[in-house]
Amino acid sequence: MALTPGSGTAPAAAVLPPARRGRAFLSRESLSGLIFISPWIVGFVAFAALPMIASLVLSLTNFDPRRPDEIGFIGFDNYAQMLRDPILLESLWVTVRFALLVVPLSLAAALGVAMLVNSTLLAGRNVFRTLFYMPMQIPIVASTVVWIGVLHASSGWLNYGLEAIGLPGPNWLQSPTWVGPALAIMGLWGIGNMMLIFLAGLQSVPTELYDAAKVDGAGPWTSFRHVTLPMITPVLFYNLIIALIATFQYFTQAYVISNGRGDPDRATLFFNLNLYREAFEFFNMGYASALAWLLFVIVLGLTFVLFRTAGSWVHEGGSR
Amino acid sequence: MHRQNRRIRGIGALAVSVGLLLAACGTQGPAASDGASASPEGSAPVDSPNAPAEAVEVEWFVGLGTGENEEQIATEEEVVAAFNEAHDDIELVLTIVDNTEAATTLATRIAAGDAPDIIGPVGIRGLQSFGDQLLDLTPYIESSGVDLSGIEQSLIDAFNVEGAQIGLPTGVYPSFIYYNKTLFDEAGLAYPPHEVGEQYEGQDWTWETVRELAMQLTVDAGGNDATSADFDPENIQQYGLDAQFTENDARAWSTIFGGSGSAVADDGTTAEWPDNWREGLQYFYDGIWVDHFIPNGTAVQALADGNTFQSGLIAMDVVHQWYTCCIYPAEGDPTVSDWDIAVLPTGADGEVTSKLHADTIGIMSSTEHPDEAFTAMTELAANADLVQLWGAMPAIESQRDAFFGAIAPWSGLGAPELEIDWNVSVQMLEFPDVPSHEGFMPNFQEADSANKDLGNRLWNTADLDLDAELDAHVELLQGIFDEGG
Repeated sequence: MALTPGSGTAPAAAVLPPARRGRAFLSRESLSGLIFISPWIVGFVAFAALPMIASLVLSLTNFDPRRPDEIGFIGFDNYAQMLRDPILLESLWVTVRFALLVVPLSLAAALGVAMLVNSTLLAGRNVFRTLFYMPMQIPIVASTVVWIGVLHASSGWLNYGLEAIGLPGPNWLQSPTWVGPALAIMGLWGIGNMMLIFLAGLQSVPTELYDAAKVDGAGPWTSFRHVTLPMITPVLFYNLIIALIATFQYFTQAYVISNGRGDPDRATLFFNLNLYREAFEFFNMGYASALAWLLFVIVLGLTFVLFRTAGSWVHEGGSR
Repeated sequence: MHRQNRRIRGIGALAVSVGLLLAACGTQGPAASDGASASPEGSAPVDSPNAPAEAVEVEWFVGLGTGENEEQIATEEEVVAAFNEAHDDIELVLTIVDNTEAATTLATRIAAGDAPDIIGPVGIRGLQSFGDQLLDLTPYIESSGVDLSGIEQSLIDAFNVEGAQIGLPTGVYPSFIYYNKTLFDEAGLAYPPHEVGEQYEGQDWTWETVRELAMQLTVDAGGNDATSADFDPENIQQYGLDAQFTENDARAWSTIFGGSGSAVADDGTTAEWPDNWREGLQYFYDGIWVDHFIPNGTAVQALADGNTFQSGLIAMDVVHQWYTCCIYPAEGDPTVSDWDIAVLPTGADGEVTSKLHADTIGIMSSTEHPDEAFTAMTELAANADLVQLWGAMPAIESQRDAFFGAIAPWSGLGAPELEIDWNVSVQMLEFPDVPSHEGFMPNFQEADSANKDLGNRLWNTADLDLDAELDAHVELLQGIFDEGG
């Protein structure tokens, strides 16, 4: 018995003439959809997929853009070189150390601000929401330049404030010890997006749960600990993933404050800045491509680990 | 009909999609037809309206050194327009790229097979990245009979690399001491010497004499100078000496205070830090952390954000001729309205050394029009207006009087009339650092970066064992050299 079209089974296509097969496979709606997303597809292929493939190929070469004729295949030498590169280890440690500081800090700050602007006790909540989000509209380079002024050791507002309360202001941007915290403070300026996502999460918590908790005698902290926090764990998880990826891609602020050198004493030589220097300052394009793939693998690995642990702490649909 | 409408809608959607894609990926307009060559202001390239169709196009790439500042562009455009008016067979096209992007842009264009014809002005350090991509000009110099007799041979030789003449010198920037006369007057001290060999208050003009003088000119918040037992190094208000705008390059500081040297031995592969450089760097380091007459990294940032002489709180500053770019006599509090220049002292090696910066214009070896490029390059290199614009002492001796007569970028800025003794600069040209402190090292970019890391550490860290630091640094350099080999 021949199968009829529309039975939903794969062999159906085999009995159709080629033209109809194509039409069945690509309905008009599908075709229109593909046409409309074709700019994205072309853009993705041209500006993401092909460069990724190119970087993978380049990572197996000694490519120097100044001497394109001398390009040669060197196998996995660039990857082997990573094992002998002390600067790479330093840059990884700078990035990990910064992530350990800034990811929890920015998550806590964004959640705190989101709770604040979600509170019914706050007058003009919409105004505050806008104000806290507004820094996101300022280009990173511009805001970093402003922060350089704020953090200036002798003329910065922050140190003026510290001195006013009797505390000695550190040399934020010149001290290897303080430049990390300085960048973390600078990072708090950009928590607007995270705050907005937390806010959406907070607003999706059913009020009945708070009412029930109240009936059971829960105070604000207990209510937060046992109702709010569990219910927003999906949002927390999302923000955590995004923050972690962003931290491993941290570049612009470090580039601006150190003129692209990772000063002072390589304390701001983040992984991405080191990669940039290898590619565009030292012109080791092959090695830089290998570094880019290492970064990809690290971030992919961390994301995988987080997803594997998510089942034990992220509530989905009311259950863990 | 219905099917036709759908088809039309489908074609329309496709056209919109393609349109969106082209809009997203397309150029901004005719002026930015080449993203890599667009100037920061979007002004380049400049074409002559009268250039005939058959004219050979020669592209001049500016940005690796000076020449890309906003106030310089108009004059450069005028020079290009005048050149094109005078040459029917050549169309010179000016491309200006921001200095911070220039090396990357050029490298990318070389990789894409789209290298410009002429690059420059570019200094000795900048040439280390692209020197092997430049055309040997020797046959063109010989065949054209271009007259180089007005340029000192030592300056021409500065751009001769392994027998290849990769550029002709356009401008030179000897270094010397800028001094703030107001601070000397306040301290009741005589001004430093203007002639090589001249003594200072009965003492030979050496770095040790400079140390004593600079300590007298270093003053704390209580008004004590650095020679006083009551001097408080935690509250210094004014410093006796600095050597600003070196990009923290340890080679530069070693040369200033220790004389000529090199981080690479004669074999071209072995890393070293010669003894005179170690002494020089020790002088510098002690000047910061022991005798306190040189500002450390933190203090430098507090002093006019690194333009320390401009702060009015630096009595003497070793900088190059180009520093006239950056003195604004009517700005700041205190102002630097009365200053002059003095010769550099004799070093521990018994020699006077004035570390030299020099600019050239070169031709890329990939050019398809070397003869036309050579014609354009020689005219640009000899153009007195351009050299004046770039703040360089002309490499051509006959142009120097006019240069010094007109050099006063601070005039019109509310500054009083200044009589600068430019003879000092001319004298210093006789004592260049050979080899250059910006000269060759294997794996240059990484080695250069390591030297700056070292400089940064010395600048910001007290109580270092400098010999141990330098031993470790030589080891690090050797690794970088080997990696490059």
